[in-house]
Amino acid sequence: MHKTLLAGVSTLALAMTATAGFAQDIVRGEGDFSWDSLDAFEAEYGDLGGQLTFWTPWRDDPGDASQWRAVVSFFEEATGVSTQLGSSPNYEEQARIDIAAGSPANITILPQPGLLAEFAAQGALTDLGDDATAWINENYAAGESWSALGQFEGQDGNVAQYAFPFKQEVKSLIWYSPVNFDEMGYEVPETMEGLFALQDQIKADGGTPWCVGLESGGATGWPATDWIEDLMLRTQTPEDYDAWVSNELKFNDPKVVEAIEIFGSIVKDDANVAGGTAAVATTAFGDSPLGLFTIPPQCYMHKQASFIASFFPDGSEAGSDYDFFYMPPYESEADLGRPVLGSGTLISITRDSDAARAFIEYLKTPIAHEIWMAQPNSSFLTAHTGANVDVYSSDALRQQGEILLEATTFRFDGSDMMPGAIGAGSFWTGMVDFVNGLSAQQAADQIQASWDNL
Amino acid sequence: MSTVSASPAAPAATAEPASAFARLRIGRIAANLALLLIVALWTFPTAGLLISSVRDADQLALSGWWTSLTTSEATGAAALGTAADQTDEDGQYVISGDILADGTSFTVSAVGITSREPGAFGVGEPVEMRDGGILTVDETGAYRWTSATPFAHERGPRVYYVASEPPRFTFDNYVSVLTANGIGQSFINSLTVAIPATVVPILIAAFAAYALAWMSFPGRGILVAIIVGLLVVPLQMSLIPILRIYNGIALTFGGEAKGYLGVWLAHTAFGLPLAIFLLRNYMVGLPREIMESARMDGATHFQIFVTMVLPLSFPALASFAIFQFLWVWNDLLVALIFLGSQDTELVLTGRLVNLLGTRGNNWELLTAGAFVSMIVPLIVFFSLQRYFVRGLLAGSVKGG
Repeated sequence: MHKTLLAGVSTLALAMTATAGFAQDIVRGEGDFSWDSLDAFEAEYGDLGGQLTFWTPWRDDPGDASQWRAVVSFFEEATGVSTQLGSSPNYEEQARIDIAAGSPANITILPQPGLLAEFAAQGALTDLGDDATAWINENYAAGESWSALGQFEGQDGNVAQYAFPFKQEVKSLIWYSPVNFDEMGYEVPETMEGLFALQDQIKADGGTPWCVGLESGGATGWPATDWIEDLMLRTQTPEDYDAWVSNELKFNDPKVVEAIEIFGSIVKDDANVAGGTAAVATTAFGDSPLGLFTIPPQCYMHKQASFIASFFPDGSEAGSDYDFFYMPPYESEADLGRPVLGSGTLISITRDSDAARAFIEYLKTPIAHEIWMAQPNSSFLTAHTGANVDVYSSDALRQQGEILLEATTFRFDGSDMMPGAIGAGSFWTGMVDFVNGLSAQQAADQIQASWDNL
Repeated sequence: MSTVSASPAAPAATAEPASAFARLRIGRIAANLALLLIVALWTFPTAGLLISSVRDADQLALSGWWTSLTTSEATGAAALGTAADQTDEDGQYVISGDILADGTSFTVSAVGITSREPGAFGVGEPVEMRDGGILTVDETGAYRWTSATPFAHERGPRVYYVASEPPRFTFDNYVSVLTANGIGQSFINSLTVAIPATVVPILIAAFAAYALAWMSFPGRGILVAIIVGLLVVPLQMSLIPILRIYNGIALTFGGEAKGYLGVWLAHTAFGLPLAIFLLRNYMVGLPREIMESARMDGATHFQIFVTMVLPLSFPALASFAIFQFLWVWNDLLVALIFLGSQDTELVLTGRLVNLLGTRGNNWELLTAGAFVSMIVPLIVFFSLQRYFVRGLLAGSVKGG
């Protein structure tokens, strides 16, 4: 009935030790880690020394910032390089300012490929070389889609590998409460058809199936773009998805409008979403999953990427209080396989140095990935096939990691790859307008019009 | 006739001071009321922030600070014991325990066995469990689950409860802020930025103000006008060009691209126009006669400045020092740009805003952070405030 009780207990135990220490929990030479890769790295770069500065989007301490520090600390130890980490809530803007003023950090880490493409075009990024491309293709699951993510046109107009993908997220997840499902006798659906049947059953039982929240300050609307992307991957071929991202397939093509309409069939029905359709655009994306945890539950399902677990209430346990299932494919579209939508951060060199180059080499070692995988309460996933999945700190993460490794089709978040004015602009606002009353065709026309104006 | 005219005059004479008195009182009451209203308006948000900062994070997320003193109704869930916890009491199998966590002071008012109806049964009412047996829960959360047959379940089923929860106050937010990684370092960084960035502009501005007020040279008026004009240049516009110039110069001389020198210079430059403007206006108001007699006695400009103008201008200097210190201490933008926000250089405001977390989910810490960062400006303000009032009045009353 509850398959992961032990996992829940172990994550809780790990969570308790989490406050005690971070890097100290992992002792070199112990555990199932690939220590030999660190030894080999140390043999080559052991006497490097010097300084290295980082600019990252991570600020949770304890949390992603301290977990990242643990990853870096093993690099420091191996090479003797002293490092400095930095971040701020407006890290994208500050990265832009620092690059414009000529004082960027050695290594800049951003989750937006579109922004990095801009920096690359300004000549601000260092080419990591063809061997980096080859390495990613060979060692990452669905490697070519990952290496393509870090390839941009440089100042000279040539496409090169300017960024290294590290830390992945799976977006095709639906979160639910196993206890609530058990009490009502609901089963995890295996197909999209089953998901819609479950939605109707929940409504018939007097419940509300979904919690959807699109509010995210200046980025309001982005959670809806994930919905559309996931639905695109489940109704159209990956080739159509790629064509859509590059606008060879127009935004107002019937194929895209169909995906928007499916999303509309869910959120534009007051009975389907907690608080009704009017609340969708005004509920903060981080607050919306809390409806799963209220008593009585405000909703039974929430679609969001793997990182959302950090927004769940303190003390909630994976496996009993919450769990997730893979957003299933349509039974009627069996030839599309099991597509996975994801996103991730990209690491780029913004001020070249030997230490910065060595750090990119360090990221190629499995150990750099495993240290973060083993951090308690992390949301770190990796597509690195050489990293040992046994070191993931929880079963939930391991299952997500396996979704990433086993994807038959993997596609990166389309809105992050579209031009900034679309993917971080009219696509967001178009989705908010759609939820607030525009028809799917009108919203799609509006977004396509802004693309035509680029 | 005289009596006729006198008789109304007499009451009028007595009434006049009375009505003036009344008018005075009404005026004063109105003024006091207005003052009270303004004080209330200004302290209201701060009071809310203070109350929020000592509230429990979970309660804070659910309700506003004005409800902090009322008892709130909460629903919760707990897992009952497993088969391993059962005892055999005269052929009755019993699992007992407490559904409330230790240290909570809830009063349970209802229980339920499904999340959909968390309060389906009253306290003390026997509840038939799906796994068999009868459960009773009392007000304190103690439960007793009895069955005629042995329990066999390995996982404790959930029960839900509705409980009234007394207000919870805690200093956890303050503890988290004060023990956050690097907060002490940031405190020192902020002082390292703020003290020179206050002293240096005052020093320069005092010299400049004296020259602009009491030394006659061609173009003095235009120079004053230009400096006043600089007051309206938005600093946001000049950030990148200035940083780029600074980086260029610093790197040529082998210095660091970003650093304390840069942030001191930036704050000095951004503070100077206002400083010169304020101090010049104050110094112009100093009595001309003293300067002239000093000049006649053979004092140089420097002697006049050091021995007479500086001591006389102390209120203006102090009030500007407060302005500048508060602005530099509370500044985030200039520090982030010119000093950067690497861990070792981050100023206090930057550290506090980073406490929010990667996705802004720890906002309750900001309430406590606001009060922590307020301490230093309050000390500065109260130690210099007697000069502050005099400085604000600078030039309004001409001394002879």
